[in-house]
Amino acid sequence: MITIKDLRKSFRTEEVETLALNNVNLHVENGEFVAIMGPSGCGKSTLLNIIGMLDNPTEGSYNFAGHEVAGLKESQRTQLRKGNLGFVFQSFNLIDELTVYENVELPLIYLKMGKAERKEKVMQVLERMKIAHREKHFPQQLSGGQQQRVAISRAVVTNPKLILADEPTGNLDSKNGIEVMNLLTELNQEGTTIVMVTHSDRDSHYAHRVVNLFDGQIATESQNRAIGATV
Amino acid sequence: MFKNYFKIAWRNLLKNKGYSIINIGGLALGMAVTLIIGLWMQDELTHNDNFKNKDRFAQIFQSQTFNNRTGTGPAIPLPLEPALRDGYGDSFKYLVMSSWTNDSYIKYGEINLSRPGNYMQRKAPQLLGLNVLKGDEDGLREMNSIMLSKSTADAFFGNVDPIGKTVRISNEHDMMVTAVYEDLPYNSSFSETDFIMPWDHYYNTQEWMQNSKDNWQNNSFQMFVEIAENTSMESITNAIIDVKKNADEDVVQYNPRIFLFPMEDWYLRSNFENGVQTGGRIKYVWLFGIIGAFVLLLACINFMNLSTARSEKRAKEVGIRKSIGSQKGQLIYQFLSESFLVVLFAYLMALIIVLLCLNGFNELARKEIEFPWGSGGFWLISVGFILFTALLAGSYPALYLSSFRPVDVLKGTFKTGKYAGLPRKILVVLQFTVSVAFIIGTVIVMQQINHAKNRPIGYDREGLIQIPTFSQDFTGKSDLMREQFIKSGAVVEMATSSSPTTRIWSNRSGFTWEGKPEGFQEDLAWTEVSSEYAKTIGLKIVQGRDFSRDMATDSLGVLINQTAVKYFGFENPIGMLLKDSDVEDPNPPLKIIGVVEDMIAQSPYEPVKQGMYVYDRHNNFSYYNLRLNPNQSVNQNLAIIERVFKENFPAIPFEYDFVDEEYAAKFAAEQRIGTLSGIFTALAILISCLGLFGLTSFVAEQRTKEIGVRKVLGASVFNVWNMLSKDFLKLVVISCFIAVPIAYYVMNGWLQEYPYRVILKWWIFALAMLGAMGVTVLTVSFQAIRAAKQNPVKSLRTE
Repeated sequence: MITIKDLRKSFRTEEVETLALNNVNLHVENGEFVAIMGPSGCGKSTLLNIIGMLDNPTEGSYNFAGHEVAGLKESQRTQLRKGNLGFVFQSFNLIDELTVYENVELPLIYLKMGKAERKEKVMQVLERMKIAHREKHFPQQLSGGQQQRVAISRAVVTNPKLILADEPTGNLDSKNGIEVMNLLTELNQEGTTIVMVTHSDRDSHYAHRVVNLFDGQIATESQNRAIGATV
Repeated sequence: MFKNYFKIAWRNLLKNKGYSIINIGGLALGMAVTLIIGLWMQDELTHNDNFKNKDRFAQIFQSQTFNNRTGTGPAIPLPLEPALRDGYGDSFKYLVMSSWTNDSYIKYGEINLSRPGNYMQRKAPQLLGLNVLKGDEDGLREMNSIMLSKSTADAFFGNVDPIGKTVRISNEHDMMVTAVYEDLPYNSSFSETDFIMPWDHYYNTQEWMQNSKDNWQNNSFQMFVEIAENTSMESITNAIIDVKKNADEDVVQYNPRIFLFPMEDWYLRSNFENGVQTGGRIKYVWLFGIIGAFVLLLACINFMNLSTARSEKRAKEVGIRKSIGSQKGQLIYQFLSESFLVVLFAYLMALIIVLLCLNGFNELARKEIEFPWGSGGFWLISVGFILFTALLAGSYPALYLSSFRPVDVLKGTFKTGKYAGLPRKILVVLQFTVSVAFIIGTVIVMQQINHAKNRPIGYDREGLIQIPTFSQDFTGKSDLMREQFIKSGAVVEMATSSSPTTRIWSNRSGFTWEGKPEGFQEDLAWTEVSSEYAKTIGLKIVQGRDFSRDMATDSLGVLINQTAVKYFGFENPIGMLLKDSDVEDPNPPLKIIGVVEDMIAQSPYEPVKQGMYVYDRHNNFSYYNLRLNPNQSVNQNLAIIERVFKENFPAIPFEYDFVDEEYAAKFAAEQRIGTLSGIFTALAILISCLGLFGLTSFVAEQRTKEIGVRKVLGASVFNVWNMLSKDFLKLVVISCFIAVPIAYYVMNGWLQEYPYRVILKWWIFALAMLGAMGVTVLTVSFQAIRAAKQNPVKSLRTE
């Protein structure tokens, strides 16, 4: 699904050029669950943003499901992203002015799906995430765990091939964190590819494979023995 | 999709109530101003639109040159009519001679009223397109007929059918009502014509007219025409321009030019300067149009500034939407539909404001504008107006907000750049530039009005009234009336005059005098007065003496004003003789017996015209001027005067004007402009301050943490206030320096049109600048002090 070759990403400010990613090579198979770990500032989030097509690499190649992404214009990236990718953020990033239902519905609107179909899909995913009873509430009326479930609902409502999760449990207590990880695992078992950035050793154990980044380079890669293990 | 946009827009409005009120309120005010100005402009531009033949309707005008000064006006001589009818009849569909619109006394039974109207030739109803409601469309056929407007007919006859009834005019002639026509609309050049009587009746009853039949120099009449199909105004003007010059060799020296003045220009472009058409009211239409556009712009700037200032709050939403799959274009649509929603609300509020204010505005602007509920065009324009405003206000924020990169926003590292605030600052400067320029403009207009008002006018207008005497009933009774009025104790002195003190109705030329330069073409204001005129109105004799009843020769005496002394070039004017240049004239010459101070009878902005006050030998007076007894109340005096008047003229309605009010009316136009621009300036400033208020609150919010840190480090409330206020004050100072030269240039140009004008003083500009800065400090301080007073611990903890 994802093939990254010799990827480089640098940020330039007025005075200094910072190398965020250097010579990264990564391959992710269809249906894989990969965790990216590493200390703060090692380039995890940058890599995730590039995989998520929110950002362009400075050099190198990124092939997503047969499409070369590096060098695409923003509008082309948006087009490719739509329906293929779902995002889950540490800080949930729900739109405060929209209700639970409307937040989850939003990606479908951008896919120009009809109203009845949208309703069916949204309710389906909300039921599954056990948050349907809160559909009329606004994000700020929910607990952190509930908000993250809404965010995951929104990420999966389009049936994306790939879910990108940026420290999905970072703002949650352990009980809610475990619940979220179980949800992701479930999705993965149904065939969705997942790439997750995390600080948490516990969370990384849910992944098939852990990639360790250090100073913008892949330091080690390790295979988890028990695939989909629960801790 | 749009439903979703509107939903989020609506919730955003509700969530940020303060912001929404500033935004919608400011826009509503701006749109209301623009709407009212639009309605006013529409009213001005559609003047005379009731005439279906407007594009072919014209008045015959004449330009003549005296001493290299060319005067232009509608007054034409009698023989011009046959000259045009016989020589160029094919060019005209209708050609109608008319008197001036003068008040006449109309009496029916016990009802006795004074109404304005005209004598006109038979085709007038067709030319004017009168809608005859009752009676004969050809109502001027018979010599003793009169056509009445609906409102006039109602005043006399109520429910009785007026057709065939006889009314008495000026207690002299009995006229039969032949037709009743629908009143012409108020914004029509003939709106004052309450009745029309046949021209032939006028001609047959006025001996002086019959004597003027072949006189090309007596310009005392008007002519209105509708040109024939397949002709143009230009071609007819080209044909008739020299018709007067070719007819009478005596007038060649004045180079008379006859031309068509199209109805299109009557109202808005009626100024002629030295023979050249130089615009007119159209200037004010433009002026207010520009003011309206600027006020709307100010309101739109508020919207732009407040929207972009809130960008950090909206940035997250933009990022999420983009990561979910929104295209930039879709976000632009979203923000535009938000601005559309705001503008729509603002427009509805603006409509309410307009409806509430329209009556007051009509009173101020002397209009009868009605709200065009039923006009499809109005609503169509409204839709366009809303879309235009939404685009104007919303496009910049939409482009700005939709350009955020999601990766920056979502990473939480989003910071508006160093220069992100720059466009906002430029817009604030633009706002205050306009506001300061408006303040300066308004102050100068007001000053110019006051300057002219305080100008010495040469006589005492307080406690002076004038009574019109438009009837033969008054002939020969002046001395008797003077005696009775004085005896009654209500009046201390009385004199007659051929024109009101506040007007010049007649001008004369054709004199010779000793030492008259070769080729000098004199043109003097001409007023015929009785002996006590100067004494009555308080006009000062500066040389020589006043008329005296004891000197029989004074009936050939004349007073001239100081300007006339210079004009004639007399070193010692007393005793000089003014002869008629027509050597066959049997009248003895006029002798100058005194010089009076210049008095303002025309525009208070113009120099006083050279003029002469001639003893009225022929009962040519039109007014009684009465100096009221200062030791009695005005009401007491008026009651007595009315009683005396009614005893002597039972058939004439008692009417009078206060001269000071008549004089004040000369300022009405400028006063209206001044008042209106004052109001619009105040609104412009209010709108700008609303925006500033909103901006300050956002800046204070943005810098909460900084303020907290500063306070922890020892900053006082004053330090923080100073820091926040200084930034805005700087912008206003820049605005002032841009506005001052622009305002100076424009207002100096405006003042050039007034020969008698105020001198621009530096302190006007300083005052306007200080005023703008004061308002800024006040506006900003409210938020700045609030932010400065907050407990720093609170603000630091929120991070």
